[in-house]
Amino acid sequence: MLGLWRKIRATGRVAEPAPARPTGDAPVAAKELGGSVQIRHVDAGSCNGCEVEIGAAFGPVCDAERYGARLVASPRHADALLVTGVVTRNMAEPLRRTFEAVPYPKVVVAVGDCARNCGVFAGAYGVVGAVGDVVPVDLEIPGCPPRPEAIVDAVRRLTGR
Amino acid sequence: MNLVLAALWTAVGVGGLSAVAGLLTPGRFRPAAVGVSVTVSGAAALVAGVAAMTGQSAAVVLPDLLPLSGVLFTVDALGGVFLAITGGVAVAVGIYGIGYCRQHGLDGRGVQAVLPLFVTAMVLVPVAGSVGTLLLCWELMALTSLLLVIAEHQGRPAVAQAGRWYAVMTHLGMVAILIGLLVFAANAVDGSFPALREAAGGLSPTVAGLIFVATGIGFGSKAGIVPLHAWLPRAHPEAPSNVSALMSAAMVNLGVYGIIRVGFDLLGGAADGAATWWWLLVLTLGAASAIYGILQAAIGTNLKRLLGYSTTENMGLVLVGVGAAGMFATSGDLPLAGLAMAAALLHLVNHAAFKTLLFQSAGSALAATGRRDLDDLGGLRAGMPGTTAAFGLGALAASALPPGAAFVSEWLLLQALIHGLPTAGTSAAIVMPLAVAAVALTAGLAVATFVKAFGIGFLARPRSPEAARAAESPASMLTGMGLAAAACVGLALLPTLVLPTIGAVAGATVGATDPLQIDGMTIRLVGVAGSLSPLMLTITLVIGLAATLAGVRAQATRRAARAARLWDCGAGPLSARMEYTATSFAEPLQRVFDDVLRAEQDVDVTHHEESSYLVQTIEYRRRVPDRIERRLYEPVLTAMAAWGRAGRRLAPGSVHRYLGYGFYALCGLLILLVVTR
Repeated sequence: MLGLWRKIRATGRVAEPAPARPTGDAPVAAKELGGSVQIRHVDAGSCNGCEVEIGAAFGPVCDAERYGARLVASPRHADALLVTGVVTRNMAEPLRRTFEAVPYPKVVVAVGDCARNCGVFAGAYGVVGAVGDVVPVDLEIPGCPPRPEAIVDAVRRLTGR
Repeated sequence: MNLVLAALWTAVGVGGLSAVAGLLTPGRFRPAAVGVSVTVSGAAALVAGVAAMTGQSAAVVLPDLLPLSGVLFTVDALGGVFLAITGGVAVAVGIYGIGYCRQHGLDGRGVQAVLPLFVTAMVLVPVAGSVGTLLLCWELMALTSLLLVIAEHQGRPAVAQAGRWYAVMTHLGMVAILIGLLVFAANAVDGSFPALREAAGGLSPTVAGLIFVATGIGFGSKAGIVPLHAWLPRAHPEAPSNVSALMSAAMVNLGVYGIIRVGFDLLGGAADGAATWWWLLVLTLGAASAIYGILQAAIGTNLKRLLGYSTTENMGLVLVGVGAAGMFATSGDLPLAGLAMAAALLHLVNHAAFKTLLFQSAGSALAATGRRDLDDLGGLRAGMPGTTAAFGLGALAASALPPGAAFVSEWLLLQALIHGLPTAGTSAAIVMPLAVAAVALTAGLAVATFVKAFGIGFLARPRSPEAARAAESPASMLTGMGLAAAACVGLALLPTLVLPTIGAVAGATVGATDPLQIDGMTIRLVGVAGSLSPLMLTITLVIGLAATLAGVRAQATRRAARAARLWDCGAGPLSARMEYTATSFAEPLQRVFDDVLRAEQDVDVTHHEESSYLVQTIEYRRRVPDRIERRLYEPVLTAMAAWGRAGRRLAPGSVHRYLGYGFYALCGLLILLVVTR
């Protein structure tokens, strides 16, 4: 316990200074959220590359939480869905149900090239389609995988901070 | 002939008649005839008890009934409390038993004849007026209850085992009481209680202490006090539920009665002869029982075993009150002694009411499903609404939260313990804060226990097909539960009706004036600052709850409602296997108290034949052994078994060897005679 405290004190703050506020336009629903966005992440069939980057975006260096976003454990608590990967047959129905479970107003963010347009998995036999084919997508983050800065950038567009 | 005596004779007479009725009436009418007469007998005992509490007393001498000592019955206020409790429990259980015995195949001659005898014996114990009479009634109570415990021994082997434990422990307890009371009687003119009271002043402290400890062991084992509780969590779950209710709500009280009667009345607990250490011992064991009992109940999954452990807990709380009363009385603080005793007696009454209700409703659920493990129950609300409501009410009453019944008595107990701090000596200054902590911890764990028992056992979805098919019990069982439920509600909302009488009895027992003052709906403590109005508290709570609900509802209707699928992690459908179980609910508690409980758990993983990366089955087992039993009883049992095996070597079955034993014994005796002459 004491070791942990010492480590915290010795390490100090590692978060990078906040970059300038993103300029791109935000989804309409995001404006109603008032600057605080609870996010539920759904892996619809990802290779886990995007998950690593999301982890980095919410880690101590990029620290997406300082802009008013937070990852939560249930869609019932969430304002936004962060969907990664192509939508596989097994995950199509759960993704639809997760979307239904999020209360209005809600936002869907497709993270990575697979989520946008199936990427390298396009046409594979287990794939239903991109995220946009299953649930309405409000915001897309390109990249395979996207850089954590890009994810932070998209999250800041939702929170408006 | 006054009212007490008339009612007492009615109770005993009807009890005896219904035993005969149990033997003679044809099978179809038998449960109804016995049930109704047990209820009548109980009602008469209730009347006798209440009349005795309000000041009437009576004595009956039957010199020819028992050789040498005769039989002497005395009804006084203290005995009246226990008489009334036993009678009240019998009223509810008698009606309940009609449906239960019929449904459960317990309408045979044996059980139906013994049941009223058991009730009658329990009625007679608190009115016994001499050592011989008390021992006779006590033994009758022990034997009849033993016969009822093993009523279902043909169906389940566990019943026979429970019966053996109960038989041995109850008779060892009887031996302890016998030793104590005979030593007492040997120092008196005869065995009647007035003679004992007279002799108490002349006893040396050692003899008085010996009498107190010996009788305390016997009575404490009947009350299920740690470490003499081992029979209780076995016998109560294995007995038929109406018998469990009688044992748990009425019989265990008589153990407390014995301790109060011998300690305060016969030995003069408040007088010079008594020592503080007696009551310190009672208080410590009471506190240990309360915590240990409720801990075992909190992690238990067998519904009736859980209720059995809860009985140990509640008797522990009562003995905390009795012990505190004794300590205050010996240090001369009589108002507080009266308050602690009043709290103990009120808790006895409350415990009797809610434990009757809980055992009845648990029995009803068990009869309908055939399952007693909480992890197999659940979802009974739909099929058995009456039983579920009854258990819910009982759980509320048992969990020391307003507006429950136990709240009032535990509040009184805490008041007595807290106000005892500045007055008494060093031992009290150490013990009282610890006792307060023990009572508070017990109250908290009791809430967790009963939330678990009610939530897992009755609400949510059924966890087994039997629970899904459960149908409501017959009207007679519901009536029995309704009576006990009415008593619980009455005691929770209007304890002011019974408290003046109980307060007066408690005050008289410790030799103090009335420790409580009733002011309309408010209970005011005499001598210390403190008052409580249970009815007002309940009304405030109900209003607060209604206002909160109305506020939430108003808030909700401001937004448009949307029908959405129940969240099931996207996979669905939800099944009963996803529910919280009793085991998982208690797991955090088990972790916290692991040093005390020492649960044994193992996980067995079977891998797939073809790959060790694939899991075929996972098996999880958890057992929480009774540690006191393991440490204290098992070594004794092992030693006895070893002793028996060693003795067997002496008897190999050879006639020559036995003749040799006789020959050598005779020679040895002759040599001894020659040498000693």
